[in-house]
Amino acid sequence: MSREDLARLGARLDGVELVEYGPRYVPGSPADRRAERSVAKWFLLAALFALAFAGVFIFWPAGYRPAAAAGSQQALFALYTPLLGLTLGLCVLFFGIGIIAMAKKLTPHEVAVQQRHVGMSAEADRRTMAAEVMDTADKMGLVKRRGIIKGSLALAGGALGLAVLVPVIGGLIKDPWVKGADSDLWVTLWRPVTGPDGKVKKVRLTNGDGTPIRPSDMEAGSLATVFPGVPGGDKASDSPVMLFRVRPNQQMRIRDGHDGYEFGDFYAYSKICTHVGCPVSLYEQQTGRILCPCHQSQFDVFDGAKPVFGPAARPLPQLPIELDEEGFFVAKSDFIEPVGPGFWENPAGSEKWGSHLKGSSV
Amino acid sequence: MTEPAPPPASASTVGDRRPRRRRRLARTRSTRRITGGFALLLALVAMGFAYSAINPAGQNAAAAPVDQQAIAAGAQLYQNSCVSCHGMNLQGVTSRGPSLIGVGDAAVYFQVGTGRMPAVENAAQMPRKAPYFTEKEVEQIGAYIDSKGGGPMMPDAKTKLQDQAMLAKGADLYRLNCASCHNFTGQGGALSQGKYAPSLEKATDRQILAAMLSGPENMPKFSDAQLTPTEKKAIITYVQNSKATIDPGGYSLGGFGPAPEGLVAFLLGMGALVALTLWMGARA
Repeated sequence: MSREDLARLGARLDGVELVEYGPRYVPGSPADRRAERSVAKWFLLAALFALAFAGVFIFWPAGYRPAAAAGSQQALFALYTPLLGLTLGLCVLFFGIGIIAMAKKLTPHEVAVQQRHVGMSAEADRRTMAAEVMDTADKMGLVKRRGIIKGSLALAGGALGLAVLVPVIGGLIKDPWVKGADSDLWVTLWRPVTGPDGKVKKVRLTNGDGTPIRPSDMEAGSLATVFPGVPGGDKASDSPVMLFRVRPNQQMRIRDGHDGYEFGDFYAYSKICTHVGCPVSLYEQQTGRILCPCHQSQFDVFDGAKPVFGPAARPLPQLPIELDEEGFFVAKSDFIEPVGPGFWENPAGSEKWGSHLKGSSV
Repeated sequence: MTEPAPPPASASTVGDRRPRRRRRLARTRSTRRITGGFALLLALVAMGFAYSAINPAGQNAAAAPVDQQAIAAGAQLYQNSCVSCHGMNLQGVTSRGPSLIGVGDAAVYFQVGTGRMPAVENAAQMPRKAPYFTEKEVEQIGAYIDSKGGGPMMPDAKTKLQDQAMLAKGADLYRLNCASCHNFTGQGGALSQGKYAPSLEKATDRQILAAMLSGPENMPKFSDAQLTPTEKKAIITYVQNSKATIDPGGYSLGGFGPAPEGLVAFLLGMGALVALTLWMGARA
């Protein structure tokens, strides 16, 4: 039996009858050669781009050059990565197109007829198969007897599943209140630090690079983002604070219960939005509004940072500030309420908003 | 207008006869010139070092002398163009313009130099437009405003405001202090009620510096104590570098980052995938 006969037989055994079957074009004919060329063209292109990729990878000048340093050569450096992507991408694309083109232009010409049949197995096959399975189980005693085997098997399976789930789910479960009143949600790094000698030290307001801040560093109408002057202070997600210096003639309202939290014209508010915790620092120094870029909440610095627009419902927590002996800003204490988005146990926000003019009694 | 034609080069007549001598002559003359130049350069460098060694304190910038003429000219310009909104004594006019006492010449340089002032109308925010006053006039108005109440001063026009070595530091400072409003590539962004942080596309080094010093409109002020002059230079370097950086893809899509880029990639990529799939499934 020739190979073609075997191929036909295989098809026939699958219920496919090849009515016509043979090469697409007469071998060596112009059409045949044309098809060959049009497929080879794609593979050649793929090879070309693969070589181009290697060439770019090896010879193209790579690395970041600042625009000013690179000058007119900037395009050269900037194009390195795009060229790598382009050459390798086109190589893969042309390779794929070549394969498809081969399937379309060179695969044998055939007309095949296949008998349709229902997808399900024959009735006899199904019934005998089911009987075979159930009979085996019955003869093993697993259908009516051997409760201990079934029970222990189920137990083993369940326990194994549990063993897989415990580390996966257990890693996600943490008790946020394990430290009681010191739990992370209640305190920030602004809390005064008790040194090894038992002395309580108030935390300084510092720039990102750790330098402390004096009142004279800021002009009226300015804003500085400050961090607690303790190790890791500029990395803690709940600690960034906006320090404002408002104009001396600006009429200010103080949130009830927050008298004396400011220092002169300096006010410090948490930078973490009380909605979902984005950093709020789009500050309009004339209107005193702080905007949150995520959901357009707005807070009024001139009125205790109360929310005046958008989804945020609670005011930004105010950090009580004063000067230390050396004249640098320190936090008198931690925030008196949790910063950032709300959580079930957070009592802040349930109290009614109230504020009064600065200097007036409540 | 008609200039006499240059005399024909004599080289063609004489050159044939004595080419070697002429060449040697030219070589000695240029050699002498180069050595002379080197000697002069060396002497100048030596003098420079000697001077800086003897007089190291020479870098303190002296305050510009008060130019009464410029102040008088500035006062005249102020009376013509600014007084109706900012008042006779710079005290401001309610619901028209703020007081200009203490804003300094940095504020004038920014507001007038970028054409925001004089304003066309009282709006939520003054847009940048072609400056109405010449640079000299801006300086004169600045001198006048400064004479009335001081405030942040612009440095000398020749001061270099970029330092390429500080680029990375500048990027850090820009992200912390500026990017929340002006966007991480300086595209600007919306604020409340029609106000906006403008794009930095057209801002010059000095204009960026003036804005940081004076805190125009709703921008907070960044005094030299809060952001040192060196840090301000770093920020300017970053902004100008960021603007000068080409978009490797050929188009920035507004410089807003992954959202528009992802959308375009998705639409183009999906379109290409669908087209390819249709072609694959098509009858040969």
